[in-house]
Amino acid sequence: MENSKYDVIVGLEIHIQTKTNSKMFCTCPTGYFQKEPNTHVCPVCLGLPGALPVPNKRALELCILMGLATNCDIAPEIHFDRKHYFYPDLPKGYQISQYKKPICSNGHVELSNSTVEIERIHQEEDVAKSTHHIETDTNKEYSLIDYNKSGVPLIEIVTKPCIRSGEQAKEYATRIRQIARYLNISDADMEKGQMRCEPNISVQKKGMWEQKGEEIVPIGKYKLNAKIEIKNIGSITAVEKSINYEVNRLIEALETNKEIIQQTRGWNANKNMTEFQRSKETSDDYRYMAEPDIPIIETSKENIEEISSEIVELPHERINRYMNKHMLSEYDANVLSTDRDVAIFYDNLFIGLDKHLKDTPTSAKLASNCITGTLFAWLNEKDISISKANLDIADLVQWNLALHSKEITKNKAEELLKESLNNNKNLSDLLDNFRKQSEKSAGNLTDIVKDVISQNEKAVKDFKDGNNASVGFLIGQVMQKTQGSADPNEARSILMKELE
Amino acid sequence: MKINTTFLKHIAKLSRIKLSKKELEKFTPQMKTILESVDVLQEVDTTGIKPMKKRLPFSQLREDIAKESLTQEKVLTNANHTEMGLVKVYGKIFDGIEKS
Repeated sequence: MENSKYDVIVGLEIHIQTKTNSKMFCTCPTGYFQKEPNTHVCPVCLGLPGALPVPNKRALELCILMGLATNCDIAPEIHFDRKHYFYPDLPKGYQISQYKKPICSNGHVELSNSTVEIERIHQEEDVAKSTHHIETDTNKEYSLIDYNKSGVPLIEIVTKPCIRSGEQAKEYATRIRQIARYLNISDADMEKGQMRCEPNISVQKKGMWEQKGEEIVPIGKYKLNAKIEIKNIGSITAVEKSINYEVNRLIEALETNKEIIQQTRGWNANKNMTEFQRSKETSDDYRYMAEPDIPIIETSKENIEEISSEIVELPHERINRYMNKHMLSEYDANVLSTDRDVAIFYDNLFIGLDKHLKDTPTSAKLASNCITGTLFAWLNEKDISISKANLDIADLVQWNLALHSKEITKNKAEELLKESLNNNKNLSDLLDNFRKQSEKSAGNLTDIVKDVISQNEKAVKDFKDGNNASVGFLIGQVMQKTQGSADPNEARSILMKELE
Repeated sequence: MKINTTFLKHIAKLSRIKLSKKELEKFTPQMKTILESVDVLQEVDTTGIKPMKKRLPFSQLREDIAKESLTQEKVLTNANHTEMGLVKVYGKIFDGIEKS
């Protein structure tokens, strides 16, 4: 949001549940979605006295993997701390987290035309799920708690206050989700709570502040305006919307000399606005202390090297390759890179085509058009992912080659592809049939044209009287008789010759 | 850090404990003594001394294998109130410290 008087300063905290079989500190299974409540629970994640946490190796590997993918430094020692607060979703009375020494720090993520700096990524555990109600007969407030989610591995990714707009925050959150999915760190589905975004926002007068590391400091006697945290954001779009809403609210407050107090606000997706939740506590209130029940974990260079072997080509690297080597547009490159399975499918189709065409931009454009056109439309309609669809690369290569050589018209090609997809028919069989049909009709095309001329005297007369539109009608008749297998251009030239 | 009744009130609030005026007057000096004792420990020079904590190589961490949990019935044994397999707790829990 551009404003001549104020700068927008945003830092984003993103929590991601990582994909493990067992919980962070116990062997309870993690997949709690739609499971019976309180069935994935043991003394450890229930916080019973005497139960001891045992860290999950895979969870820590995934945290480090996220750090490596975002260019972070990885600490040689892993320390855990206790963060205290009392709430029914936290049965121990503290959350095991990391305070002063996060596993990953000082990273960055490349966006389309900016870089977002990452302050830290640390490992923690998720809390239980609680819902709040009021008893009808007694009017008493109560909460219902399911501990299945308690102790699920959670990583927190914190940026420096370097984001300058809602739009940039949205792009960053999208990229983080992509990286998590590319590396199979998490499905990062915000609707399922596997990814949660919490922006910290402040609005400051231009030229009156500067960023020093992770801090925003005032210049001269300027007094910084308070920071607002937004919670309860349920989608990536809401990240942008809620920040824009809050920025407008804050600027209006400043312009009308209203006081801004540090607070946490909740995003209300129905009303498209933020609402006051509570005034914000400081970190002192969490009374952090070193977790005495978990030893210091030593990570060696070899451990990190082994984890880094899981790094695959990341979204921004793919986008760059598609734009610079394949000469695709930025838009196409982005669309193809959104989902890693789509990107891999595109790469395979591209390789298949390029073997025949030996022309990178042409092969790329064909593959891209094929996927983002008919295939995407069909996959969306059927609501299935590209990896689950029964698609044969070799067939699609042949299909694209036929289209490229103009052996088949675009309309006819789409028709065959749709027929193959909808009826689970072999695309190469359909192409073969089409070829046989067109060979047959090619010889007959002159005869068919002659038939059409003799059967449509009125249209022929109209044409001779100077009405060119009737040619289109006559070509349509020819196409109908050949069941679409004739090349309309060829049909036209024969038709024109016969009419003369 | 100044240890006075205001401070103790705050700590009590964070711990969701209600203290009467009498209790505050009784506990404040006690808390002060405890924290002063800790301060004595803080005076020890520990420069260059590694924490006396067990160390564990990464490779020896627990492998990610899920095992059976307790039954729902067992999980709910200690709960005073339950509803449809969920633990039920009474009380207003929104005021005070925010959740993570």
